[in-house]
Amino acid sequence: MTSQSSKSAIVLQRKWSRFRYPESAIRYSIWLSVFVFLVYSVEYLDIPLERLLGMLGRLGETLANRYYPVDIEYIMDADYGEYVVETIQMAYLGALFGLLVTIPLGWFASINMTPSRYYVYPVARFITMVCRAVHEMIWAILFVSILGFGMLPGVLALTFFCTGFAGKLFAEEIEAIDMGPVEAIRATGGNLFQVMVFGVFPQVRVALTGIAIYTWDVAFRAATVVGFFGAGGMGWYLKRNIMQIETHRTAAILLSIIALVVISEVISAWARDRISKSQ
Amino acid sequence: MSSVQGQAHGFEFTVEKVLRLRLQNRLTSGVMYVLMALLVVWSVEVTIIEDTDWERMGSLGNVIESAGRFVGVDFALFPDLFEPALETFMIACLGTLLGVLICIPATWFGAHNITPFKPVTYPTGRLMMILSRSIHEIVWALFFVSALGLGALAGIFAIAVRSVGFIAKMSAEAIEDIDPGPIEAMRATGANGFQVLLYGILPQILPQVLGVIIFEWEINIRRSAILGFVGAGGLGLVFFRQMNTFNFHGVTSVIIAIFGIIIIGEVFSYFARKAVI
Repeated sequence: MTSQSSKSAIVLQRKWSRFRYPESAIRYSIWLSVFVFLVYSVEYLDIPLERLLGMLGRLGETLANRYYPVDIEYIMDADYGEYVVETIQMAYLGALFGLLVTIPLGWFASINMTPSRYYVYPVARFITMVCRAVHEMIWAILFVSILGFGMLPGVLALTFFCTGFAGKLFAEEIEAIDMGPVEAIRATGGNLFQVMVFGVFPQVRVALTGIAIYTWDVAFRAATVVGFFGAGGMGWYLKRNIMQIETHRTAAILLSIIALVVISEVISAWARDRISKSQ
Repeated sequence: MSSVQGQAHGFEFTVEKVLRLRLQNRLTSGVMYVLMALLVVWSVEVTIIEDTDWERMGSLGNVIESAGRFVGVDFALFPDLFEPALETFMIACLGTLLGVLICIPATWFGAHNITPFKPVTYPTGRLMMILSRSIHEIVWALFFVSALGLGALAGIFAIAVRSVGFIAKMSAEAIEDIDPGPIEAMRATGANGFQVLLYGILPQILPQVLGVIIFEWEINIRRSAILGFVGAGGLGLVFFRQMNTFNFHGVTSVIIAIFGIIIIGEVFSYFARKAVI
């Protein structure tokens, strides 16, 4: 390769470039088409580029005038505390149910351990994909329209969301295991279930715990807003205040959400750290 | 379980100790399991049993009936879905681009080995990441809609701000893990801070960061599909309209359209990530 390029350098005196002809042209055209698409979408979406800088100023103004004196007293209310507890419960149940569904689903959706590659694997993969592709808000709206207002649709929406989220991670984790123990157990005559319990599960136990903590963290973040469409929890509070244009209270609620998410993140980081150490 | 106990015979001289430790472990984990079970029971009691309006929901048949309203596809709607789908796709692309631009200062401040003035800028960078990640995209969209007015621009800003957290966090971690050799070499030849950033750090993290950006772009397609709920354009607006006019088959059509663009995004991102890494 190097001798070739030095030869051609002598003959053509060509400038050095990292990519040679066909590849360089392909790369150039890809970048160009991405750029053209972006410019076209600015045009298509009617974005007023010349007013953009002024808008940033207005953004700051809105923030300072409308949201600034945060109404802290409003969120110190016991009533609000109840909603916070509800949100935590919803996230907990959603994550728990989602994980319970995930364990068989991840098993079926991993190409190396699935009971049947032609029937079970595609179905399980499809279920995981559907749960992942549909946003948690859409789940919430669908369940609210089916079951009515309340926390049950919220829990179900979070369950589907967590199934999609954890299912993919868990299946990937199973696909990465060492097949030695699995074959050993198969050789001694273990059935499908025994292979799973004694061959696979000990290998993914720690990873599954990590996934569980992560899922809870994500579920809590989603739980703070599923109430927005009537599924209970803090989101409902948020919606009410936004609809009433009580911006100072909204700011207070947002601050409380940020604080809670940070707390949950710190706890989950600590827990994951401990698990990876105890391994 | 018997196989686990069999292993303990190798440590015969400490069998008592092992057994005692094991008992202790079992006790702690037993207490934890009981606590978790109680928590589950309490949560189920409060959220599912007390809070739900079972009478309104009616029997299982009623629930199945109301879920059955969504079965069926409104094919007449599909021609009208093309434009909003394109809009959603574009919002995701532009939002990711703007997010990457906002990421640059956030990453620079939030990586503790290159942050310019540690006591001030490091917390600032971290705060930017936390703020962006802890507020849901719907809330961001509401804020931007109230500040910038209805339309795609609010959606782009919401997507951008929301994707800062993840990209900046991963990039900052990548920067913290880089090989300091080239940077020292560059410093020794007299390169200034900007040159070090451009030629010493960026080439080392670029493949990883591009992978993260593509991954986030894929998620952003999913996100931009719902921003229309709060007035930021795209497929979400159509979804909301179908829902409010009780055209449940139309809702299914919109969900299928969302699947369509997500699959397109996933195919793109698969090839793009392959090309990058």
